[in-house]
Amino acid sequence: MTNRFPRVRHALTRSLVMLPLLALAPVALAGTPINQRAGADPAGQVEISNVSGSVVVTGWDRPEVEVTGELGEGVERLEFSSSGKLTRVKVILPTRSSRVESTDLVLKVPVGSSVAANTVSADLTVRGLRGSQRLQSVSGDVETEAAAEDVECKTVSGNVRVAGSGQRGMLTVTTVSGDATVTRVAGEVNGNTVSGNFTVSMGEAGRSRLRSTSGDLGIRGRLTPDARLDFESISGDVRLDLDGPVSAEFDVSSFNGDIRSCFGPKPVRTSEYAPGSELRFREGQGGARVRIKTLNGDISVCNK
Amino acid sequence: MNGVRDESAGRLEEALARLPRSVEPPGDLWPAIEARLEPRDSRSGGRRWQWPAAAAAAVLLVAASSLITASLLRRDNTRDDAVVAQRSPAPSGAVLAPAAFGPGQALGPAYLAARGELARSLEARVARLPPEGRLQLERNLAELRRASEEINAALELSPGDPLLEELLLNVYQDELAVLASVNQMAAGNGGTTNDPTRMQL
Repeated sequence: MTNRFPRVRHALTRSLVMLPLLALAPVALAGTPINQRAGADPAGQVEISNVSGSVVVTGWDRPEVEVTGELGEGVERLEFSSSGKLTRVKVILPTRSSRVESTDLVLKVPVGSSVAANTVSADLTVRGLRGSQRLQSVSGDVETEAAAEDVECKTVSGNVRVAGSGQRGMLTVTTVSGDATVTRVAGEVNGNTVSGNFTVSMGEAGRSRLRSTSGDLGIRGRLTPDARLDFESISGDVRLDLDGPVSAEFDVSSFNGDIRSCFGPKPVRTSEYAPGSELRFREGQGGARVRIKTLNGDISVCNK
Repeated sequence: MNGVRDESAGRLEEALARLPRSVEPPGDLWPAIEARLEPRDSRSGGRRWQWPAAAAAAVLLVAASSLITASLLRRDNTRDDAVVAQRSPAPSGAVLAPAAFGPGQALGPAYLAARGELARSLEARVARLPPEGRLQLERNLAELRRASEEINAALELSPGDPLLEELLLNVYQDELAVLASVNQMAAGNGGTTNDPTRMQL
């Protein structure tokens, strides 16, 4: 048999040698499990910092912070400290290292905490928090739920997704090229992007100021009686869909884009020689103010 | 009552009748006014000084931008991410493209100083961003630059157009906001070291 099937024998021998190594492989490649916990102020501040991987933060009813997850291979350590109102969770990388694996952090924090989180490429997810949030990532996506407190999301290329609860608060979203999707927010919504597309759905549109350079802006909501909406884009399109009865003054103008409105008068040329057009009118009593300006972007204003 | 009114009206008519029928204008006042005005040369001196400075800055900045971009691309092709993050400079030269507010209107020194200051600190910090982030930043700063150029071109066709002026002002503000924001994010991320290799992905 040995002489007749040398290849089979060789393969079997190799498999027998490899089997234990394969069994050990997941252990060798996996990072270090994290499981830490400390008491924390129910309305304290939690600072989180990670580079790559993920960060998931959930609010709970206990006055303590729990950190679980997995520390990436090559990471120096996890700094976890809690003192007074401040809890810090930071992934510390070695001073010099050519290879560091990503780290996944899962945090449970008191529901009334304020959270400030920074990442490079790690995705950030926050759920069930009532405190303020300041979430920043260079290229990671940011996803959160907004309550009544202020929420600020900032990315370079990461996408932002914010689900509101209909409570009034202040939301600020800033991206360079990341897209933003915002739903069910009320109160004040401010946003700024260069090339990202923003889609904002406001239950009650109170105050909002959105600006883009080339990204499109899409806004939907019901105007409050004293709403102040201000949208501006250079080459991106702006689309405003209003729910319910409209009572507002409109000041809409574009230097080179088309203006389309489902109600009110037709837009007029601003100059005989320049391509610009504008649309200024009052609908209903006109308590709210809507202002939209673009250079090349088209503008659409409609109600349903 | 009527008698009093008639008497005063009569006095008024007499006074009016005594007034001269015409008044000769005094001598030519213009020479005196002109002498008091600021000399033309001194009024336009500020702008004359700004143009060569702006042009020189433009040349320097465009050159710096090109060098840095070329350097970035070369390194991205030849090195792994960690090495790129460690060695390549930030593409911030691109942010210092010349800025103007419509034709012939250089921006003020305070704005240019703020912009320069941000770009300088950005240079060190953006180098810590991952290559993809740097390229995104570069692309979008170029987008802002294109927007400002486009509006400036439109302002040449429609000087003083309030919409264009407002949009242009906001583009410059956005550019500063992006620089400040990235500066802050790059400073905050990782937050544990100055070693750029720590920012590698």
